[in-house]
Amino acid sequence: MNTSPLISTDRITQRFPGVVALRDVSLDIAAGELRAIVGENGAGKSTLMKILAGIHTGYVGDLRLRGQVVRFGGTGEAEAAGISIIHQELNLVEQLSVAANLFLGREKRTSLGLLDDREMERIAGELLRDLECLAKPRQLVAELRVGDQQLVEIAKALSIQTEVLIMDEPTSALTETEVARLYRVIGRLRERGVTILYISHKLDEVFRLADRITVLRDGQLIRTLEARDTTPREIAHLMVGRDVESFEREAAPSSPLPSGDSPTSSPLPPGEGSGVRERGAKPQSKHTATPPHPSPLPGGEGTRASCNVLLEVANLSLPWSGHARQWRLKDISFQLRSGEVLGVAGLMGAGRTELLECLFGAAAERPTGTIQLEGRTVAFEHPAEAVSAGVALVTEDRKRLGLFSQMTVGQNISLCAMRHTVSAGFVRPRRERELALQTAKDLSVRMPGIDAAITGLSGGNQQKCIIGRWLLTKPKVLLLDDPTRGVDVGAKAELYRLIRRLCRDGIGVIVTSSELPELLILCDRILVLCEGRLTGEFRRSDASEQAIMEAATKRSMKSEV
Amino acid sequence: MQFFRRHEWGLLLVILLMIVLTTLLDSRHNYWNDPRQSAINILRQTSFLGIIALGAAVVIISGGIDLSSGSMIAFSGSVCAVLLVLLAPNEMRNSLPVGWGVISTAIAGTLLAGFLIGSLHAWLITVVGLPPFVATLATLVGLRSFARALVDNVTTSVWRASKSQIDVADDTFRNFAKHLWIPATLFALLAVVTWIMLSRTVLGRHLYALGGNEQAARLSGIRTEKLKWFAYVFSAMLSSLAGMLYVADTSTANPQMLGQGYELNAIAAAVVGGCSLQGGVGTIPGTVLGVLFLRIVIDGVAKIIKSGADVYEGLIVGMVVVLAVAFAQLRGVARGGKRFFAGPLGVVAAVNLALIAGAAAALFSQKAKLAASQFGGVTALAVFGLLIGVRWLEGRRERRS
Repeated sequence: MNTSPLISTDRITQRFPGVVALRDVSLDIAAGELRAIVGENGAGKSTLMKILAGIHTGYVGDLRLRGQVVRFGGTGEAEAAGISIIHQELNLVEQLSVAANLFLGREKRTSLGLLDDREMERIAGELLRDLECLAKPRQLVAELRVGDQQLVEIAKALSIQTEVLIMDEPTSALTETEVARLYRVIGRLRERGVTILYISHKLDEVFRLADRITVLRDGQLIRTLEARDTTPREIAHLMVGRDVESFEREAAPSSPLPSGDSPTSSPLPPGEGSGVRERGAKPQSKHTATPPHPSPLPGGEGTRASCNVLLEVANLSLPWSGHARQWRLKDISFQLRSGEVLGVAGLMGAGRTELLECLFGAAAERPTGTIQLEGRTVAFEHPAEAVSAGVALVTEDRKRLGLFSQMTVGQNISLCAMRHTVSAGFVRPRRERELALQTAKDLSVRMPGIDAAITGLSGGNQQKCIIGRWLLTKPKVLLLDDPTRGVDVGAKAELYRLIRRLCRDGIGVIVTSSELPELLILCDRILVLCEGRLTGEFRRSDASEQAIMEAATKRSMKSEV
Repeated sequence: MQFFRRHEWGLLLVILLMIVLTTLLDSRHNYWNDPRQSAINILRQTSFLGIIALGAAVVIISGGIDLSSGSMIAFSGSVCAVLLVLLAPNEMRNSLPVGWGVISTAIAGTLLAGFLIGSLHAWLITVVGLPPFVATLATLVGLRSFARALVDNVTTSVWRASKSQIDVADDTFRNFAKHLWIPATLFALLAVVTWIMLSRTVLGRHLYALGGNEQAARLSGIRTEKLKWFAYVFSAMLSSLAGMLYVADTSTANPQMLGQGYELNAIAAAVVGGCSLQGGVGTIPGTVLGVLFLRIVIDGVAKIIKSGADVYEGLIVGMVVVLAVAFAQLRGVARGGKRFFAGPLGVVAAVNLALIAGAAAALFSQKAKLAASQFGGVTALAVFGLLIGVRWLEGRRERRS
């Protein structure tokens, strides 16, 4: 590695207006290695990768490729030099076919100068077969699942003789099966000698894949470690620069279960129509994946949830017109007590978000079944009705569905509680500021000031602002849709603590997450959805990653339909 | 909320600059010799355009667009005149006073028509699901011809004589626009009310939220459909008001000519004033200054080249919009090393700008009785040389860094 690094950066500094995104980063990457780049949000991982891929060109310092100083003027030049990047938000034209996307900008032509679709489709087909991708070259990209779209991007990178492939959080939107397939593809790429730079939040996959791990923090390179000489705990420690809270999982990374392989031997209860329930999975699976952790609550779970039923859902179904499955959700029944944290687990597309939207009156179609809030039957037709009844929803996609990026921190917080700032019909700016400031302080939002732009805050602090926005409406039921997505380790712990505090005040919380360990730490009970059905319900003491994952991948449910 | 941000201060500065320039370049020095009359003229024009620009600004801030205001002016002017004809056929025919009762009924009816058209827009957009551009494009095209048919049919059936326009001679009605203070006060009042509504009420905050992120607004429990209804009705009713003022001003309701192309001037004024067509951004003080700026530039050019200035109005508005928005957006970009004249498109852009500058110079010199072709040619060449120089400098700066 020291003799001839494939890529090396020499004291690279990248400034953006107002911030230094990278400061004096010097890094060597050997040919053929898989290097993981980890760090909290805003640590500079993506910036560094964008410099390598020719997207940011205004940096200071030297970038060397095979010992030669290079400075790419754009992604085209970087690709010509053999460096491709696969962005977190995929870069495909959804209205074009897979083959057209693969050859976008490098279209093959016939002797007449017309597009040679047949040739392009043939090559695309070969590449996709290599990657175990089921997509057809003629299919429109919009019709593909995210995992397949990602493989199209990888195929594209391969078709231009890529030597260095940069992957920015490639598993963030994949199902377990797709993740397993991606791992196999990565293995095959490595056999071909492709050097891979892998950005990720998830330490377990980093340890599974990487040779070496580079930790960035606040734009600076902290350390590069051999993966076999270190532990997730040490890396997490380096990432946050402080001791990770006790909420973090204590020990070794879990092994994600290859779905579909596990036999679904657990007996299916007969409860047709009333929702399928399963209490207590197989005893041997208990605590295999999750080590026991001290109960973070004084008094334990027994005292937290009172017997006071806050929300009762019976036979909730959400139709899906024009889709083969007919329904997004089918016969869901459960209860939420005040002071309880109820988790909703499930793979992507299982209906987690749809369930929360139904409870909030924001579903795409009108759900059937009954929802009772504190004993009264409710049927919200607009989120406004849910809000005034005391239900709040923190949406999954913060940027698209939660933030008002042109507003200040204060305005983002106060938005749903404007009526408290009004007297005689007019908004009192001072009262609004005080309200927002108080909330921000309460949730310890770290910000330059209440009048700062919301976009300047880190993901975790933005999320706190949005939660604050909803707390000002004094909700009885708080729905959190994957609240820690894109939030760094330190802020996650703070969010967990916040959720606990809210429960002590008697709020009922329903939380979904794509990370099972998070649900296991946070929830009193966990519901498991699979393809729109309730396939399991666990108390915290009975739950394990293994058992939940089995319930979430119960393919046998299909036969019942 | 601050009263003026950087954008507004910038506009104010440019407005003052334009006034000074016009005073100096105008050979009759109207602004210096007769400031009162000049101010009245500008204020009158500003008030008329400003009223519809307020509506445009509210719709744009809420994330929509209203292309119909020009046709809406023609339509509501015609509706008002038609109501007058129906209520007082003989008086209208013989240019006699029609009385307060008839006038108030006509005004109320016209505002009701504005409410109905605004509601139609809101229905098409929120319920049918048309994009605002399409919904208001339909009424832009449709309302003017509807207004012509209305005038034609009503005059035929009431007076037994088909007319393409209706003269409104009633002095009471004409007085609404004759004295400057009525339109100006109306505009000032509406501007203040709209400003307070946007900056100091929940409704206003929700409009900004709607424009900034519609889905997030809905998921925050905001009734986005009702807000859109409000915004489009607000815009349509202000256009109705402006339509009546225009009829009062010209003493005639001519649906073919009335408000022709005004929707774009109103949108331009809002955009120059800092409203973003993406929604969620913009202020009323900015919009008012935008209107004022637009009118002062138009007036200044008219003063300088004397006759036939209306020919150049569109050209000026176009240039002002491009310059104002470009300056607002490019503040930071030039420092970041962006090249404006790189590549073949850069060369064509330089040719384009040189030709525009040359043509403008030629037209200007012709008005000023100078040798037009020489003056234009020299200007075009000079601008082209300058831009090619800029291109070369940009390239060198990039190679160096």
